[in-house]
Amino acid sequence: MNKRRTRIVTGMICLIIVVLAYFAERFPFYVYEEEELHTSLRQFFSVEHLVRLQPFLIVIAMAALSIRICIWIRGFLLPRDQGDRKAANGKSVKLRKGKRPLFMTVRWIFMIAFSTMVMFGGIWCGFILAGIDFPVLACPTNRDQLIESSCYFLSHLPVLFEEYSPTGIVLFFVSTIGFALLLGRTICGFLCPMGLIQDIMHVIRQKTRTEGISMTQSLYRRLTSIKWIMVLLMFGLVFAGGEFCSFCPAIVTSPVLAGMKVSIYLSGFMMVIVLVGSFFKRRFWCNICPLGYLIGLTHRISPFRVKKDTISCTECGACYEACPMGIKMIYTERERTDVTDINCIMCGECVRSCPEDNALALAFAGKKYYTASRAGLMSGFECDPDPEEEREAE
Amino acid sequence: MMKENNMTMETSPEKALQSVKEETGSPDQRSRSEKEVRQEIRFIKKETMTCAKYLRRMEELDGMPGALQPFLDTLRAVYVELKNPLEKYHQKTVGTYCVMAPQELVYAAGAIPVRLCSGNYTAFSIGDDLYPRDACPLVKAVAGFQKMGLMPVYRDCSLMAVPVTCDCKKKIVEMLEQTHDVFPLSVPAGREDEDIDRYVEELYRFIDTLEALTGNRVTWDLLAAGMNMTGQAKYELSRFLKLKKSMPYLMWGTHILAVMNAAAYMRADAWSFHMNRLNRELEKRIEKGEKVTSRNRPRIMLTGSPIIYPNMKIPLLIEEMGGIVAADETCMGERGMSDPPVVVDESFDGILRALANQVIRPCSCPTFVNNKERVYRILQMIKDYQIQGVIYHVLRGCLVYDYEYLFIEEELGKRGIPVIRMESDYNEEDVEQLRIRTEAFIELIRLKQAA
Repeated sequence: MNKRRTRIVTGMICLIIVVLAYFAERFPFYVYEEEELHTSLRQFFSVEHLVRLQPFLIVIAMAALSIRICIWIRGFLLPRDQGDRKAANGKSVKLRKGKRPLFMTVRWIFMIAFSTMVMFGGIWCGFILAGIDFPVLACPTNRDQLIESSCYFLSHLPVLFEEYSPTGIVLFFVSTIGFALLLGRTICGFLCPMGLIQDIMHVIRQKTRTEGISMTQSLYRRLTSIKWIMVLLMFGLVFAGGEFCSFCPAIVTSPVLAGMKVSIYLSGFMMVIVLVGSFFKRRFWCNICPLGYLIGLTHRISPFRVKKDTISCTECGACYEACPMGIKMIYTERERTDVTDINCIMCGECVRSCPEDNALALAFAGKKYYTASRAGLMSGFECDPDPEEEREAE
Repeated sequence: MMKENNMTMETSPEKALQSVKEETGSPDQRSRSEKEVRQEIRFIKKETMTCAKYLRRMEELDGMPGALQPFLDTLRAVYVELKNPLEKYHQKTVGTYCVMAPQELVYAAGAIPVRLCSGNYTAFSIGDDLYPRDACPLVKAVAGFQKMGLMPVYRDCSLMAVPVTCDCKKKIVEMLEQTHDVFPLSVPAGREDEDIDRYVEELYRFIDTLEALTGNRVTWDLLAAGMNMTGQAKYELSRFLKLKKSMPYLMWGTHILAVMNAAAYMRADAWSFHMNRLNRELEKRIEKGEKVTSRNRPRIMLTGSPIIYPNMKIPLLIEEMGGIVAADETCMGERGMSDPPVVVDESFDGILRALANQVIRPCSCPTFVNNKERVYRILQMIKDYQIQGVIYHVLRGCLVYDYEYLFIEEELGKRGIPVIRMESDYNEEDVEQLRIRTEAFIELIRLKQAA
């Protein structure tokens, strides 16, 4: 009964998404009389830039408000009330855990650096690698990006074939598919600006110790069906006379942050949903991202792999709990040593949380570059025995 | 050391009983019939003597690290001197049974957990009359202590948290309810996402009960402090296991089991403090290359039903007959504490979820449906500790472990690792039989070694 109800709900959501996406331009979020797709470095440090950031700020304000409302409503719905559990008891205690591994630091540096370069690289460095398309979800409306994002042409295939020369078309496919093959969904975990934004939302939730949504496989299955609808929309909307860019949330990030005047339609509301979703569920958008799914198709041949030692695994499920993509197979698998999944974004959270030495590892072309270790996981507990000795003495 | 022990053995029962009597000076206890008093004296005499004997046998194994003494002292305090070693903290104690009752929550609520699973022969003989013939001896021993009401650690508990795991644990709930407040903690039989969700709800109920007991509201800070406390203990244990992996003859397995058993009656911070000392001593030993035995003894792994002090006859037999218990996969041993909770979500709910996950998913207790992961755990341990043979311990009546024997024997047989099933009960009548089997098993491994 319950299952049937969730199916019906999912079906309804899918239907609503399709309808909304089709009529995306009927929902103005922030519309300019005349658009201006030009920015300059000088404008960056002026008041005008702040004014141009307005849509982005509105999105953030709406997201913050929505999150407050969600928490407030949940207080009524959940039988147990945890509001006062968050309160400090006079003394502040730090939950001890493993130190941040080098891998995670590198990942954050990569995400921040790449997102910055993809948004402002063109303006700052003054040169643009035109013709090379990177499969990330950074809005290609921003023509001042260091490299282009391939999502525009993927969602506007007729435009690609009409406007580009054969060399351009070949270059587009070679670079897009080449990067997808070479990097796989490492792109999602390391490079995509949407990923960075979602990870920031996750960090905010951690810092505020807000309860999230505990995901189950049946919920993930619902997200998967939404993802299929997204893929369908991405390719099909242009043929049906719709405009995917008016629906896609990424348009609020790259062009707006770069200071362009871009009219925003349903995308603004979508971005609010993405922010709220990724606050309560880590990497919420990645679970339904159509572009991510396409990159994931290369998971069988991409040189980035997740390796597992099937004997040392204790099936403790820590990796599954940590996985933002809800890949359950990673801890139940007992046969294959390669557990790379189509959904895996190579974020390394599973390896970080794995308590068994060498049970999980990330590898590039057969060489492991990040391996699980209990010492690493429990490194936060290393301490000086002296103060304890004093306590014992008294 | 020996002399002192004998002294305590002779003088302690009457003294201990007297001190116990003084503490529980309730009218009905004063008006006990002479027969009952005699029975009590007999009980305490037998109980203390058996426990002291096993302690002595453990101390007689040479090469005992000095830092081990506090652990043995705790066991002595509980079983020989009949004291409650947790009394000094002036906190309420909560008796827990399986490893599935998260100790973190008890610490967070401001109480101290004590693990009451028992291996006592004397208490078993009393419980034997109360419970069905085929009930497991562990539960009979608990029932025996309950009936006599003479053990301070049992008596002083303000609450008993009984995870509903195997059939026998299920049934002790009613028995314990006669004397204590009991919280039956439902443990799911499966490990699916929904089971974890259900268990998290159960943990919230447990927290409510603990809050009602101590009057403290369990906030995030208190929960974090509880997590840190047990986390520290788990860290010291992981350090210890790492040392042991590097050298199989570092310490007698019996001693390790004593250390793990002592954890049941020690507050986690005190245990980790002594564990830290032990680790440092062992590190020095490794530097010097010291071993507990110079001979190349067969390295044996113990798995199956829990080995609980004073029921140490099997590990002691193994080590007295020329083998060494190089690893154990039992819930009163390493396994009970070796899986750390991995907090990936730092909200209150997230921490509870991490706890639930740690309790349910990696636990290789055979009460779970589909427990294939246990074989892999054993295989990994065989690799890590260079095990040559496995002794599968089955307590009489412990059906769930008995069920899994066949599967594990088959899997290990495929890999050419000798396994032997040893059934025993909580008495010393089967010792000679076990001795012959242990000896034969060790000889078998020696022959293989020589070949």
